[in-house]
Amino acid sequence: MRRPGVLAAGLVGIALAGGPLGSIHPAVAQQTQPTAQTQTEERKMDDLEQRVKILERLREIEEEKAAEKAKETVTVSAGKDGFTVQSSGGNFILRLRGLLQFDGSFFQGDEANAATDTFQVNSARPMVEATAYKIYEFKIVPDFGQGKTVLQDVTLDARFHPAAKVRAGKFKTPFGLERLQSETDLMFVSRALTTNLVPNRDLGIMVYGEILDGVLAYAGGVFNGVPDGSSGDADINDGKDAAARVFARPFRKTSLPGLQGLGIGLGVTHGINRGKPTATGLASYKTAGQQTFFSYLADSSPTALNTVVADGRRYRLSPQLYYYVGRFGLMGERVRASQDVQIEVEDPAGTFTMHEETIRNESWQVSASFFLTRDDASYKPAAPRKNFLPSEGTAGGIEITARYGRLSVDRGAFPVYADPAKSAREATEKAAGVNWYLNRIVKVTLDYSRTSFEGGAASGGDRPDEKVLQSRFQIAF
Amino acid sequence: MDFLHKGNPIMRLRKLFQVILLAAAAAAAGTILPAAAADVTLLNVSYDPTRELYKEFNAAFARHWKEKTGQSLSIQQSHGGSSKQARAVIDGLEADVVTLALAYDIDAIAERSQLLPRNWQGRLPNDSSPYTSTIIFLVRKGNPKKIKDWEDLARPGISVITPNPKTSGVARWNYMAAWGYALKKWGGDEVRAREFINRLFKNVPVLDSGARGATTTFVERGIGDVLINWENEVLLCAREMGRDRFDIVVPPTSILCEPVVSVVDKVAKRHRTLEVARAYLEYLYSEEGQHIEAKHYYRPRLASAAEKYKDQFPTVELFTLSDVAGDWHKANAAHFADGGVFDQIYQPGR
Repeated sequence: MRRPGVLAAGLVGIALAGGPLGSIHPAVAQQTQPTAQTQTEERKMDDLEQRVKILERLREIEEEKAAEKAKETVTVSAGKDGFTVQSSGGNFILRLRGLLQFDGSFFQGDEANAATDTFQVNSARPMVEATAYKIYEFKIVPDFGQGKTVLQDVTLDARFHPAAKVRAGKFKTPFGLERLQSETDLMFVSRALTTNLVPNRDLGIMVYGEILDGVLAYAGGVFNGVPDGSSGDADINDGKDAAARVFARPFRKTSLPGLQGLGIGLGVTHGINRGKPTATGLASYKTAGQQTFFSYLADSSPTALNTVVADGRRYRLSPQLYYYVGRFGLMGERVRASQDVQIEVEDPAGTFTMHEETIRNESWQVSASFFLTRDDASYKPAAPRKNFLPSEGTAGGIEITARYGRLSVDRGAFPVYADPAKSAREATEKAAGVNWYLNRIVKVTLDYSRTSFEGGAASGGDRPDEKVLQSRFQIAF
Repeated sequence: MDFLHKGNPIMRLRKLFQVILLAAAAAAAGTILPAAAADVTLLNVSYDPTRELYKEFNAAFARHWKEKTGQSLSIQQSHGGSSKQARAVIDGLEADVVTLALAYDIDAIAERSQLLPRNWQGRLPNDSSPYTSTIIFLVRKGNPKKIKDWEDLARPGISVITPNPKTSGVARWNYMAAWGYALKKWGGDEVRAREFINRLFKNVPVLDSGARGATTTFVERGIGDVLINWENEVLLCAREMGRDRFDIVVPPTSILCEPVVSVVDKVAKRHRTLEVARAYLEYLYSEEGQHIEAKHYYRPRLASAAEKYKDQFPTVELFTLSDVAGDWHKANAAHFADGGVFDQIYQPGR
């Protein structure tokens, strides 16, 4: 009979279990009535938990304070890019930079002492740049070089977008390739003959930018207008010049390393330029040694007679290119500059005659460079891979350069508008040099230039060649 | 350009006449056509816990101003510890109005930056205090530490949360409330009052910069046994966070707090917002303004609003600052200035 057995087993089980609450219940009773030790341990746990929370909260508060302080922190830094004061967040930046160029020019075969061997401070420029709200930039660059005080650049920029920026003030006209290259990045001490035909700094307003991620750059604006190769601080007439330039690097974003460094462009200026005897609106042309080899006729007394003045349309066009691949660099440009001119002359019989002409001058140049060290050539050279450190046996960057160029004056300029006995009708330059980049901010240049002429001497002869050795010690930051 | 200087005189005169006509037409259009309603922006720099109050008040005032003048108004808010906010305005934060926890902070703006006149407090009713408040406690549900009065805050083992009197207006009110309690309890004995304050601040583990930060520490971080804070902040906490988590403890006595407001005259003149800034502060005293304040647990001055919301404010015996310290200049010099009583006694608790 199983039921009584099951019942007995159940009763035994219950007995073993201590009845309804039997031996099980003492353990359960212990769990529901915490001991003093448990309570103490719980209090300790709570206490520890509070301490951890307090420490975490204190850390949070310190982080909030640090974040608040960081908003007000002004950063001051000094380095290869000059001295910078920047507000937290970068909304306001003040930057001080500088350029110093100490040059030497030594003329060879100059028995007639037509040119003077000299040292000079070519440029001494403190540069002040200020940026507000990351969009608006102000820059002022005076220059105390060559014993003069000149305001080289004063610009106000509004950079709304990489493709849409506005600039107003005094700055380089967007035209010539070598002229637009920074003074600190030139291959030679002096710019090529072509730069004689290219406007330098002018006052105006310009829109500019880059599109297609820098593949195409454009600039266009209205300016006072300056004579060839010159800068200006005020206009001499009501006429204004329009200038525009486009420059493309079509392979910049491609995977063709051999062509990524190719750039081609076109610059143009057009305007009306009218001068007067006291401000002719015309320029003279100079050699690498800064010797004048061409100038228009001008009377020593400021009268309207016998002085060539600009009288109308001024037009310039310049196709240009550069190509940089590895250690090799090449730059070339051609410039055509035409200007309507006028001169009133009095013949021995007392008759006055007005002559008018459109003078068309042309120039071109090719410059090449090659780094002997393992550095890359560029329109804007970067710092050498290894600075000049004799203790470590590193030489900095060493670059050899060569240039060939020519400037041809319109034959129609002679003899009515220029004296063939004093002004050459053509100049051809050959130059070679070396640049030593000690580091990011120090550069030494040594080059030799020989310029030969057609015309420019008495009796139809040729002006003697100019042979000049030039040096430059440069610090730029 | 060159074209104005070229061509025959008749043509030049014609061109000049056209230019003059165009200019005249433009000027006439400007006077005939009504000027489009101009957007005006105000910046209200306020103390820490008034976010909810000004969110509703600003919307109400903007509606009122639009109806009255047709002008669209945008009101920006800045919140933080009262003293910290005052320093920000002194340092150049362009506030059109300031609404701060205590008069001393606006006095500091007047004295150090001359952005508003020193007699600013007399320009609005009730010494430029549109509402009042007091200081009460928030404790954990069930009040496990049995906190009933100020004396309990100084007991060993109690963790008290209050903001930093160096940066927070309510922290100064908290301190002066405790100080006033002690003076009253010990018959004006400043030595015993100072000893009481010392014991109280020994129990403070964390000093937040403002009232809202202290609330965060207590409510969200779960630190401390009791939070001393504005009455409005404590009542708001209990409502928002639920009475199942916290209990409110109203001490038998506390201090009458009088937050104050002022136009920042020089900034408002520069922004051409003087008229609207004045109207904005005056609206705090209006029927609608007072009801909004009461709704957000600020004790209104207007009798009708006080009557309507009387049940939501506990009964407390209130003493004033002048009863216990004279004025804020004296209180600041004695207690909160560098080297004052607070600097001498404060050490983080636990």
